[in-house]
Amino acid sequence: MTRWAMVADLRRCVGCQTCTAACKQANQTPPGVQWRRVLDMEMGEFPDVKRAFVPVGCMHCDDPPCMHVCPSTATRKRADGIVTIDYDLCIGCAYCAVACPYQARYKSSDDALRPDVATKCTFCVERIDAGLAQGLKPSVDPEATPACVNSCIAQALHFGDVEDPNSNIAALLAENQHFRMHEELGTGPRFYYLWDRKA
Amino acid sequence: MNWLQKHWDARAALNFMLGGAGAGLMIAGALVYAQTLAPVVLSLALVATGLGAVWLEIGKKLRALNVFFNPMTSWMTRESFVALLLFSFGGAALVKPQPFLPMAALAALAFVWCQGRILRASRGIPAWRAPQIVLLIVSTGLAEGAGLALLLGASPALVAWLALTVILRAVAWTHYAAAAPSAALRAPGKALMQLGTVGALVLALAATQFPAVAPLAGILALAPGLWLKYALVTRAAFNQGYALPQAPVRGVRVP
Amino acid sequence: MKRVATYCYQCVAGPDLLTVKVEDGVAREVEPNFAAAAVHPGGGKVCVKAYGLVQKTYHPDRVLQPMKRTNPRKGHHEDPGWAPISWDEALELISRKLVGIRKTGLLDASGYPRVAASFGGGGTPQSYMGSFPAFLAAWGPVDMGFGSGQGVKCYHSEHLYGELWHRGFTVSPDTPLTEYLISCGANVEASGGVAGVWRHANARARGMKRVQVEPHLSVTGACSAEWVPIKPKTDAAFLYALIHVLLHEAPRERLDAGFLFKHTSSPYLVGAHGYYLREPASGAPIVAAALEAKETHVALEIGADGEVLGEGRLEGETAFAKLVAHMQPYSPEWAAQICDIPAARIRRIANEYLDAAHVGETIEIEGKTLPFRPVAVSLGKTVTNGWGGFECCWARTLLATLVGALEVPGGILGTTVRLNRPMSERHKSVRADADGLMAYPFNPTDAKHWSARPNIRNAYRSMVPLAADGPWSQALGPTHFSWMFLDATPPGLPRVTLPEVWFLYRTNPAISFWDTAALEDRMTRFPFVVAFAFTRDETNHYADVLLPDATDLESLQLIRIGGSKYIEQFWDHEGFALRQPAIAPRGDARDFTDIATALAERTGLLEPYNAAINKGTLGVRLGEFALDVATPHQSAAIWDAVCRAASFELSGGKESNGLAWWKEKGLATKPFPRTAWYLFPTLAAKGLRFEMPYQERLLRIGTELGRRLHERDMNWWDRQLAEYQALPAWKDFPGLWDSGPQHPFWLLTSRSMQYAWGGNVGMQMIKEVADNIAGHGGVILNTATARRLGIEEGDWLEIATPHRAVRAKAVPRQGIRPDTLLLLGQFGHWATPVAKDFGMPSMNSLVPMSMELTDATGSGADIVRVSLRKAA
Repeated sequence: MTRWAMVADLRRCVGCQTCTAACKQANQTPPGVQWRRVLDMEMGEFPDVKRAFVPVGCMHCDDPPCMHVCPSTATRKRADGIVTIDYDLCIGCAYCAVACPYQARYKSSDDALRPDVATKCTFCVERIDAGLAQGLKPSVDPEATPACVNSCIAQALHFGDVEDPNSNIAALLAENQHFRMHEELGTGPRFYYLWDRKA
Repeated sequence: MNWLQKHWDARAALNFMLGGAGAGLMIAGALVYAQTLAPVVLSLALVATGLGAVWLEIGKKLRALNVFFNPMTSWMTRESFVALLLFSFGGAALVKPQPFLPMAALAALAFVWCQGRILRASRGIPAWRAPQIVLLIVSTGLAEGAGLALLLGASPALVAWLALTVILRAVAWTHYAAAAPSAALRAPGKALMQLGTVGALVLALAATQFPAVAPLAGILALAPGLWLKYALVTRAAFNQGYALPQAPVRGVRVP
Repeated sequence: MKRVATYCYQCVAGPDLLTVKVEDGVAREVEPNFAAAAVHPGGGKVCVKAYGLVQKTYHPDRVLQPMKRTNPRKGHHEDPGWAPISWDEALELISRKLVGIRKTGLLDASGYPRVAASFGGGGTPQSYMGSFPAFLAAWGPVDMGFGSGQGVKCYHSEHLYGELWHRGFTVSPDTPLTEYLISCGANVEASGGVAGVWRHANARARGMKRVQVEPHLSVTGACSAEWVPIKPKTDAAFLYALIHVLLHEAPRERLDAGFLFKHTSSPYLVGAHGYYLREPASGAPIVAAALEAKETHVALEIGADGEVLGEGRLEGETAFAKLVAHMQPYSPEWAAQICDIPAARIRRIANEYLDAAHVGETIEIEGKTLPFRPVAVSLGKTVTNGWGGFECCWARTLLATLVGALEVPGGILGTTVRLNRPMSERHKSVRADADGLMAYPFNPTDAKHWSARPNIRNAYRSMVPLAADGPWSQALGPTHFSWMFLDATPPGLPRVTLPEVWFLYRTNPAISFWDTAALEDRMTRFPFVVAFAFTRDETNHYADVLLPDATDLESLQLIRIGGSKYIEQFWDHEGFALRQPAIAPRGDARDFTDIATALAERTGLLEPYNAAINKGTLGVRLGEFALDVATPHQSAAIWDAVCRAASFELSGGKESNGLAWWKEKGLATKPFPRTAWYLFPTLAAKGLRFEMPYQERLLRIGTELGRRLHERDMNWWDRQLAEYQALPAWKDFPGLWDSGPQHPFWLLTSRSMQYAWGGNVGMQMIKEVADNIAGHGGVILNTATARRLGIEEGDWLEIATPHRAVRAKAVPRQGIRPDTLLLLGQFGHWATPVAKDFGMPSMNSLVPMSMELTDATGSGADIVRVSLRKAA
């Protein structure tokens, strides 16, 4: 069973925002809406400070709070794990946006394609579906891979089928120590952060 | 990195304030039905106004009825269905108080319960997701409803109900505040305890001797609760932010 | 939908390759050029800046037709009164001026060119200006020395000394192999471009340890294994202490004695007066029998101007022995006091460097066995310019030399030359001088050839021997002198004059240089300024004519890619890439090549212009594809010929693909040998030595220059003359910037990757995404400092020097020294659309332009002492 997931290698990310820009252009999001963005985080106190760049966005959770709270059933989860929004069903109540622990959802009147409804990272689902239909392989063929991953200049972002033991991301997860954001919330995010190789 | 949600503003807050107080008023009204049906009318008006405010907030107003599509998991859908029941029973109670007024009161209780669950389901916002919030939302609704009812007309039973609900609310707040401390709620919380609880109880006690002060007790029970919920929705609703359990190891580990 | 291949060269870390998705004649989306993944050192990717090109094309405030200034008064607060005119009128206006100049003479009474031209950073505008270089070549003398950032905003000391020591205009670690990197403020993750980010990410994954030494935790510091928060401008002391540990604490056998003895000037004997002892017959330096020795020989010691300082049996000490003695005082304990870094930490880093150097090991590359020394030191801006830059560059090169890590796999590489020739091939620039070292094209300092009549206003040829005298030298002299001397030319130089015509392209000195208010004041007096303009900006505010050139996605040009170029742009391939119109030019914008051709025609320069193109001014000698020189050619025809010649060159004469082919393919390359990354084998093959550690040539030219100047009573360069030392000593560099107790903070700047080189500052999308990185909204200060001063995040602060003040919002962060403030990038815009509303100041308006803060190479450092308080 295919389960799409994203892997961000925090050792590689430099916070350049190329993925953010590529996403904005590929998905034509309006000003202020960033389905993919990269945080600039500091930990510790001078002089013992760490600074990390952390790509965030929709985590396409196994148990997405946004979907459960959605009163219109506009938010759904596909069998391959991608959490989708039906822009024709959504009433724009933004309950999903406040329920999402990852600040991944937006609602904008300036969105020419999706005004006043909830939006978020789709894992570029249209590209994946169209690519698969052409026999392409997401993560291998750019035409079938999310724009952010295609654009990454540090090879920090990876996309693939986490259930496929032979996939690129399965290998990355097997070789490296990783965590997911706020695992304690039980949302089962499908966005993995690599932070060190396995001992 | 903590981010205050801005999706729900005063319009959404009004739903919790007016809807909660209105629901509480229905319950209080049912308990003291002997006197008047005015609480029923006002309750329905308040709940309707609250829902109307929310309607003004949603992006696709003409699709509002889609709100009913997800009763399986969404407390917002459930709230909407319960609101339908509340209006049905409340409307019927105006004509036939028995058995519809108690039924409306039960619907009101369910309504305010749904509101509590709506907030609790927001898993990214510590001030909302604390389980203690459900009792807080229910008890504030009850106390504010009791306060409103006192403004409409006092009775010893109502005064007693008010005293009971403000105590319940104080207990709920204490538990909640311990579980989800929030700087944004410090001032309204203080007001809730000092004015909304101690002040309201003192005046409620006084009202047993001087009935004229009963409305004052009502106001004290009502106002701090509304303020608290306004702050809860618009000021305290910080997303928990992002946290890295591990800092990335760049190149090599450095001791 | 179609995808159009093109390149992005908005910063010197490029070029990178991309495709543009075009739908119904509208450019929609930038994507990496995946077809280039196999040949490009960054996987065929482009960075965030390229994604701004779509917005650039459709910018609502673009200048879309030629404009004429109607308000003759020029000033910050004067409205230029732009009035649209036709191309014909605009070209007529300009060519009338130019023809007039040709009649009166190309040089003015002071001997300076009457025409000046300024282009933006690091030569990148050349990749967008089509055939304009051919017009300039046809014209004759042009003053290209009015700085817009050079010196203060570049790695100036690295450029000059790097070329002297190892043909390294820019110096990079051999990142694909380096295992240990000490990075003194080099912000490679922000300034190294796609190739830099890609390679350093791979290096981290490999386990390379990078120690970042800098006063604030930059994005590069963030991505490093360790951050060392050094006090500003004390890097030389830190590096000296590392050298001290290597020389005085580590066993000598841990150094690469073989390399030092055979391949450097370390065993040259130095006489009593500081000059090499020479064979009396040949004049060649005498090489001692051991690295550390005192020997007596029948010898000559020849000083400046050929003066014989000693003759007969002379005792000399090896350069290396002199170095050992010289570095003795610079212990980690000494440096700790200066740098604010514990001595134990300095010592540990030195020993880690030594441990990682793999002295004695080799590696096989393309069948050749080469030394393997995977350690490097990289230097950033403010470390490599201004006072102390020389000492840092020397120390860095010496650290590599001591372990044999200079120009070998894993070590430090000079990736390109700009002062030595040929520029396209640095190995060919390696020629012997009489002393067994690499020859360097110093500007003459001898009495016969030195001249007090500079060819351009910044006087690089007279004042900076190291700047050489090639096409790039004008921009590498003291480019602020052109501005400073306009009001007060120092004694001995011809009075500096205003150019009669000044061309501007992709440059904005009114915000990007130092002391920007002073620059603006002078710009008001420029009589005729022609600006190729994308939008209005702070410099073209003072222009007389605005010309809209077709922008990045609208015009045509072929450039060289690959080989070994700036920063981390050393490839395993080389070839050419085409920039082609993805869409038709908007409005009345015109392809730059067509503008250049029209100017050539109208100024009677068509033949020399075409001849310059034929000769190779556009990057390829046209040979059999040469243009008819007598007729004007359309842009497409010119670039078709260039394409054919490029194809011919690339295929060794087998192919001659024209423009149509290149439009479809976008690029073509051939392999570039990796061994060509390393200069050491070339030197070794020629039997040449690196001139390390001792700087006899610098001592000599400095002494001679001093004599020439003093012979003409030019005493205003004495402080700079002191920089010419054989073994540089530490001086109190931070003290040079001291402005008293009222100004306790150091104000620094740092590269914003999203805005690097600044040309995209007016794009809304760039602003939006850049704001995700701290510091784009205000001044970064230490959190504890903020707390001490009662400053909250977002408070307006006043940052002041004794002369000027700016306002910025407070951005408290932990990752900065308590005595340091940081203003990211270069903003402070007041005319550029979008950017003028940022509310972000720039340190450029605070940094004084002064002779005192100019070093011997003619550069200043981007640093200033300031006070800080909450704004009223």
